[in-house]
Amino acid sequence: MENPLSIEPLFHLGPVPVTAPVVVTWVIMAVLAALAWATTRRLTLRPGKAQTVLELMVTTIDAQVADTMRRDPAPFRALIGTIFLFVLAANWSSLIPGVEPPTAHVETDAALALIVFAATIAYGIRARGMSGYLATFAEPSWVMIPLNVIEQITRTFSLIVRLFGNVMSGVFVVGIVLSLAGLLVPIPLMALDLLTGAVQAYIFAVLATVFIGAAVGETRDPAANDRKDPSDD
Amino acid sequence: MSIDWWTLGLQTVNALVLIWILARFLFRPVSRILTERQEAAHAELDAAQAARAEAEAAREAAKAETASLAATRSDALARAQAEAAEERDRLITDARAEAATLRDSAGHELARERDRQRHALSQEAGELAADIAARLMARLPETTRVAGFTEGLAEAVAGLPEATRARIGSEGPVILRAVRPLEPAESAELSAALARVLGTAPALTVETDPALIAGLELETPHAIVRNHLRADLDRIRAELTHD
Repeated sequence: MENPLSIEPLFHLGPVPVTAPVVVTWVIMAVLAALAWATTRRLTLRPGKAQTVLELMVTTIDAQVADTMRRDPAPFRALIGTIFLFVLAANWSSLIPGVEPPTAHVETDAALALIVFAATIAYGIRARGMSGYLATFAEPSWVMIPLNVIEQITRTFSLIVRLFGNVMSGVFVVGIVLSLAGLLVPIPLMALDLLTGAVQAYIFAVLATVFIGAAVGETRDPAANDRKDPSDD
Repeated sequence: MSIDWWTLGLQTVNALVLIWILARFLFRPVSRILTERQEAAHAELDAAQAARAEAEAAREAAKAETASLAATRSDALARAQAEAAEERDRLITDARAEAATLRDSAGHELARERDRQRHALSQEAGELAADIAARLMARLPETTRVAGFTEGLAEAVAGLPEATRARIGSEGPVILRAVRPLEPAESAELSAALARVLGTAPALTVETDPALIAGLELETPHAIVRNHLRADLDRIRAELTHD
């Protein structure tokens, strides 16, 4: 019996096998890039509906990052925002018949988690310096160094497994129900997948923000302090 | 479960590329337009603040101008009132002066008229007295109109200064006026009286003048000696007029 978790290459680019998640990812990238180019081509100070939606999305991401990190969100906006949009688009791509979301394969989730892991280290070193960043592993005591190192790895794995398990299970459930019941029965489950996909995208982006924020530490950034802290209420 | 490392690598590259694409074409432009709108809003707020400050300054200037105009108007009114009061005082003073002048002039005119009337009345009274005297003297004998005045004329000549008295008769005949021609006896009596006071009897040229009423008048080149009722009446009238 064929392993449902394994992927077969669709074609080869020279020695490189190109699988279905990669192709779907390219399509998603093309769609997101086209939408971004089309909607940001003519930005004005008096926004239309599309520009208003874009600005609302960007300001919401900025507010989320600022509230979590207590920092100016600008350096992290592209990374966090792209992760959220890509994961959301990838999760929702399951609604298209015949398309399996890239996040239902562990390679895509692992790639995103590796980027977050690398970004955590890079932002941490840039904010604290190499010694300062390494010193965070000895907090609150040097005894915690092994645990902190393990935590860096396990939390990255938790990112991978959480996203992979949720999306993959949803796809499997819809596929099984579709094969057993019929055409219209999986629709509620697909609607549930929409919610699960959005929640998982949000969780992945927020956890990435939390990891990076823990690495860079809090600062008294005026741009961040201008925003109202919900915990103050 | 196995991991396709090529797919893992390609997805990592894909994710990095997508991060760059969205940063380039989505997040950076939107962030830029948000910043521009914020700056525009700040600029508008600054401009509004400046306009408000300018309007406030203009309002203060207008208020100051209004106060200045009110002060100028008040000064002009006060000046006009002062000038009007000064002009009124001047007019009152002039009117009073003119009234005083008119009153003085009227007083003088009244006094002159009163003097003129008194003079006329004196004149008329003198003439009336002369007429009465003439009528009364007409009832007396003709001799009394000359003889009674001879001694009085001699005494009046005696009262003249010595130099005047010495020159009487030395420069030709002396004119003697009487109300009628003198009788020889009356001429002799008069010559004797004049000779008594002058030393010698001067030559006399007798002229008749009824206006004397009664009495004699002696006229020399240097003096006139009157002793007749007309002179007395004229003197009385003059004294009455001078009062």
